[in-house]
Amino acid sequence: MEATREIYWNVGHGVVWPMYLFAFVAMGIAAWGFWRRLAVYRQGRALNRVDQLPRRIALMLQGMLAQGKVVRVLDPGILHALFFWGFGLLFIGTLLIMAQADFSVPVFGIVFLKGTFYQLFSLVLDVAGLVALVMLCGLLVRRFFIKPDGLETIRDDYVVHALLLAIVLTGFVTEGVRMAATELAVNPGLARFSPVGLLVARAFASLSAEELLLTHKVLWWVHFFLAVAFIAAIPFTKLRHIFTTSANYLFCDLGPKGALATINLEDETVEQFGAATIADLSWKDIFDADACTSCKRCQDRCPASATGKPLSPMKVVKQIGELARTNPAGNLIDTVSRDALWSCTTCRSCQEICPANVEHVNKIIEMRRNLTLMEGEFPGDEVRTAASNIEVNGNPFGLAYASRGDWADGLPVTLMESGEEVDILYFVGCYASFDKRNREIARSFVTICAAAGIKVGILGKEEKCCGEPVRKLGNEYLYQMMAQENIELIKAYRVKRIVTTCPHCFNTLARDYKDLGLDLPVEHYSTFVNRLIGDGSLQLSPTPEPFDFTYHDSCYLGRYMDIIDEPRQVLLAAGGRLTEMDRSGMDSFCCSAGGGRILAEEKLGGRISAERVKMAQQTGAPLLVSNCPFCLTMFEDGIKTGGCEGELKVRDLAEIVAERIRA
Amino acid sequence: MKVLVCIKQVPDLESRFKPNAEGLWFNETDLAWRMNEYDEYAVEQAVRLREQLGEGAELTVLSIGPDRVVEAIKKALAMGADKAVHVQDPAVAGKDPWQVASIIAAYAKGEGFDIIFTGLQSQDRGSAQVGVSVAEQLGYACSTTLVGFEYDSGTIIAKRELEGGLKGVVKLKTPALVTCQLGLNVPRYPTLPNIMKAKKKEIAQIAVADLLVEEPVAATVSFHAPARKGGGIVLEGALEDLVDRLMGILNEKTAVLR
Repeated sequence: MEATREIYWNVGHGVVWPMYLFAFVAMGIAAWGFWRRLAVYRQGRALNRVDQLPRRIALMLQGMLAQGKVVRVLDPGILHALFFWGFGLLFIGTLLIMAQADFSVPVFGIVFLKGTFYQLFSLVLDVAGLVALVMLCGLLVRRFFIKPDGLETIRDDYVVHALLLAIVLTGFVTEGVRMAATELAVNPGLARFSPVGLLVARAFASLSAEELLLTHKVLWWVHFFLAVAFIAAIPFTKLRHIFTTSANYLFCDLGPKGALATINLEDETVEQFGAATIADLSWKDIFDADACTSCKRCQDRCPASATGKPLSPMKVVKQIGELARTNPAGNLIDTVSRDALWSCTTCRSCQEICPANVEHVNKIIEMRRNLTLMEGEFPGDEVRTAASNIEVNGNPFGLAYASRGDWADGLPVTLMESGEEVDILYFVGCYASFDKRNREIARSFVTICAAAGIKVGILGKEEKCCGEPVRKLGNEYLYQMMAQENIELIKAYRVKRIVTTCPHCFNTLARDYKDLGLDLPVEHYSTFVNRLIGDGSLQLSPTPEPFDFTYHDSCYLGRYMDIIDEPRQVLLAAGGRLTEMDRSGMDSFCCSAGGGRILAEEKLGGRISAERVKMAQQTGAPLLVSNCPFCLTMFEDGIKTGGCEGELKVRDLAEIVAERIRA
Repeated sequence: MKVLVCIKQVPDLESRFKPNAEGLWFNETDLAWRMNEYDEYAVEQAVRLREQLGEGAELTVLSIGPDRVVEAIKKALAMGADKAVHVQDPAVAGKDPWQVASIIAAYAKGEGFDIIFTGLQSQDRGSAQVGVSVAEQLGYACSTTLVGFEYDSGTIIAKRELEGGLKGVVKLKTPALVTCQLGLNVPRYPTLPNIMKAKKKEIAQIAVADLLVEEPVAATVSFHAPARKGGGIVLEGALEDLVDRLMGILNEKTAVLR
């Protein structure tokens, strides 16, 4: 007997009209639901996120279909991905049926769901349904019984789980009842290609033919209306993420990571800076709230959240959406709260893990901009002092600017003002210039360069803070003041290449200064040194003996610049034996100093640096190696306050390398 | 109502000070400049008063010095002063407090200010005489070291910091001059729109020669670093040992244990 089945069996072809009518009504409701939300997004400022469209579409399809970001957190990720693929196949299956029953047969008289293809179709859909069902149950158990910390369950979750479960179950039962009537006895060879349907069919085998027909008819309509309800419910429940999250893959930020809009301070018509209300944000900032699925992965990784500070990146995003829908004129900053805004270290952990491409960090910085530029506020008086120190002396410590180059006394460096040619300009940064502990980094780096025959120039007392900490705190004005002075100087000296030892300086000079007219190769010393080792200019001797260490990826080198391997290669070349922390590479845990927090006291919650030091200690390695003066400062502190003294030491990569230069 | 606030631009105290060639003041090379801390309290209080008075009030900021003092003036304008007077004097550092006061008084005389704010003293010279001398020369009521300021219809209620942690409250009728002390307020950080607006505010330039009439009454004889005394001693080693050594030093060199 042929392997196929009659479409619209039992319900009859007469259902086509009401079926399409209801389907279109459902789609109409869904479209209307999204249309209404468009008005909410439109309250935001304009922002072009549809340039490079082919690339964006490719990214979207890849993101949706491969579920790559979703499965980065394995357990719920795999459940979701398998459910998505399963449900997706069922959707495709339904489309194929539609194509045959309502298009190829009536128009061309072609039946393609037959024979081996139908057997395959049948098997694939049956297995897809089973996978979807099992995954859905897994997700349901996770959400309603395991209840992971921080996972918030709302009305939508009950609706969505119930609806999906009912759709898949009624689908199987409808299939089973149909098979009980048409395949079980008559065509058992075909029934084998629907194993789950077969199980259900056997359960219904005892029913009479009339009972089967009636049950099937009722179930068919129930299943149909459930599917229609699903379509209509999309924009009104979390199901909307099917479209909004996918669209967010399309609307992703294609610019350099962490790039902030450089405010035009020359434009005197602008009187509002930063975001105080919804209208000051971009439409994408509002849209992000709809793309967010409340998976709380950002919150799980947020160092501020982890140490009991009043910041959850997820909540910030949700609060923006809520305000945009309910009270668009309301005060954004009061809604989110100053404490939450100032707690952010801009570590980008939230953004890196977000499966919905939500951009958390810049929203926070936009609100900070409003606080600093419009209200003159700071997270604390110590930060106000630091900012005024930067204004006066070009460093947050308030130390005499003329002593900025003192660390280099007696070292082979050239002051740029001498006019001599140099191989690189070493942009030292405030911490390596002034802070006693961090001066070791600067000295070590110069020692390394000398050994490799690199002639190093510094700006000395002419160098100023790169402006990064105050910029991330929202003070764009002070940042640009510093940046412009540095840029003019660097340009005047005809510098060809810049190397920094601070990832914050590195990001700022390499990326942010481009907007202000500096376009030079800038790199972090870890990649620079790695190259010197690679081309043989720098030879290390892994003596006196190999050492055990664990390595901390600073946020601004790892997540912001994707530099993960090079520093490790350098340390391995120096004779290190690496034990990784659980949270390393792109998943690294911030030291607490980013986002200008280096200037602020940590008054709320526990100490982030102590948390991180604890993670390092748990590897059993006696040495924690970092690549950033801010990290070094925070870890020296974390080792003391976290009670790890004597068990763990922290050193900078440059110090390790400088000690192991082959004589 | 007209309000004047007088400010001075001073070197940042973290700078390295070296005597100048004449040995009468410091050399200005490599110094970072900022508004005198006490003057920031004065500006903040003046701006608050200006805000309290609202329409019809006018706050003028005045500073004497070379071109660089315009930076300090701009900050005061960004904080909320309405207009500024820059008395151009590249040699102000060589004038004594009486002369400086006379320059301010000469300007203020024709202006009819109701209240004048100054800092308690400057961070560099620290004479604490300019404010009171201006009041003297103008015949204004005067109160110093303010840590509290209230104004209502022609009367100032000033809270003053006295010796030994004591505070005193005085009432003054305007016209009056007050000098401001740490603790009076927290100076605001200028907002960006105000910084932009400040760029357009008027800064009147007056040559010092037009205002200076007084001769110095106190001449600076010498400017030098204090003579080095014995350095400190850092004790290092085991705790018991440290205690013994400290006891020894205290016994030998001081009278605290006798």
